[in-house]
Amino acid sequence: MLQINNYSNAILQHISFELEEHENLIVLGSNGAGKSTLAKVLCGITPSSNVSIYGQKLQNIPSKERTKLINYIPAKLEIFDEYITLEEYLNLSRLYTNLEAKNILKLLGLEKLKNKPCQELSSGEQQLTMLATAVLHNAKITIFDEPTANLDPKKSRDVFSLLKGDMYQSKIIITHDLNLAYRLGYKILYINKGEITFFDSSKKFFHPLNLDKYFGSSVKKVENFIVVDL
Amino acid sequence: MRHIVFIFALGIILLAPFFGQIPIELYNLDNPTTVDYKLFWDIRLPRVMVAFFAGAILALGGLLFQSLFKNPMSTPYTLGVASGSTLGVAFAIVFGFSSMLSLFGFFGALFTVIILFALTLKLKYYETNALLLVGIALAFFYNAALMILFYLSDESQSFEIIRFTMGSVEVVGLEQTLPIVLASLGLLMVANFYKKELKLLLTSNDYAYLKGVKVKRVNTILLVAVSVSVGVSVSITGPIGFVGLIIPHIIKTIYKQSAEQLMLPIFFYGGFFLVVSDLVARNLGSSSDIPIGIITALLGGPFFIYLIMRQK
Repeated sequence: MLQINNYSNAILQHISFELEEHENLIVLGSNGAGKSTLAKVLCGITPSSNVSIYGQKLQNIPSKERTKLINYIPAKLEIFDEYITLEEYLNLSRLYTNLEAKNILKLLGLEKLKNKPCQELSSGEQQLTMLATAVLHNAKITIFDEPTANLDPKKSRDVFSLLKGDMYQSKIIITHDLNLAYRLGYKILYINKGEITFFDSSKKFFHPLNLDKYFGSSVKKVENFIVVDL
Repeated sequence: MRHIVFIFALGIILLAPFFGQIPIELYNLDNPTTVDYKLFWDIRLPRVMVAFFAGAILALGGLLFQSLFKNPMSTPYTLGVASGSTLGVAFAIVFGFSSMLSLFGFFGALFTVIILFALTLKLKYYETNALLLVGIALAFFYNAALMILFYLSDESQSFEIIRFTMGSVEVVGLEQTLPIVLASLGLLMVANFYKKELKLLLTSNDYAYLKGVKVKRVNTILLVAVSVSVGVSVSITGPIGFVGLIIPHIIKTIYKQSAEQLMLPIFFYGGFFLVVSDLVARNLGSSSDIPIGIITALLGGPFFIYLIMRQK
């Protein structure tokens, strides 16, 4: 469905992989490995001729058609205007869904904040807001850049349920949260210094040998959880 | 409260043509043979109209520049567009193209926008400060070029340029107001047409792109629309500073709504501000009018600082 073919730039080197229909993907890698750079290439914010969706080059797909296919949720909410409210922001994203903005606000417990300017929301609230826009946009593929950063443990759990549920179609999730990655059980793509060094099933990646290989001795599987030994 | 202020402002605008150093007898206004008739229809009314629509262009242009460049300091003035236009007009004065002042002013503005726009495509969103610096550098450059034109010009041309740079809304005859009226209404229509895209651009360029906005195209159309109308405005009134910076800012702090919802109020109060400034300019001086650019800066500067301090 989504394909990138031998893409290189200042950060990434020879990136090629394909995401199949109905498939989800977790992207792992240390800080500065090129995960967000990859996300921006995949969604077309960074233009390239190496990305195609359903065999059609992304840069040749008309804007409106493209919005049906792919969406990207950045790590931080970026908003210039200081008075755009949460509800207004959500409505800007309401593209391919019958869901009302107020229903998703209720679902995420953000109802009381709907008339508050986005800039005044806490970073956790902003994170939830962006996840809500992805539900309302309802693109075929949504790329999430660190969706659980900035969240308290309870909200983290809510987001896990949201990602695990059927609110989104295909997902590509960039994260540092290994436990989240493990529990979601999606295919893993590991980037190291701009190169793909692992692209296979979750089961294989979370094998103790691989954990040692990618994270040294600091990451362990304990019962059914992935734990970081500090 | 907003309605009362609006009606009050509208009242002042409608009454403005009746006030001036020479009182007008109302019963003369439908009698073409009287001096009052000529004074009202050929001088006072056109003047108020030019003030209103020039103010509207500058304020709305300021709002659009701030939204598109994502920087509260960018206006057609701070980014050098008006200086470019001024240089064009000065060039026309010195090299004998006096009949084509507007055209030269317009191309000066357009040229500057092309430079700015080419640079924004190279810069990232968080580097808009760099753009402001470019604007300042451009203004210095234009100023030096203007000095060369002064050096080349004779006495009467120099005087004409100086008077031009002080700003004036004086025109003679209602037909002279036509370009500025059309330019301002045109700008309002274009901006209104792209209202939804503008709202998306007010979040971030990436977000707008992901929601299907053709970012580059909408940016280009709106920037060119602003430059054309500012070019027309500056070529008629000369550079009148501060309106584009303070009016959007004031209206935003009062209305507390996102910028694209404020296009009409900003258009209206930008016009109102210049009409009032012109009223002051016409009625303060004993023998001749004070140039309006001086009044806007004198009124606007302190008020703007007051607003910023109050916010902190």
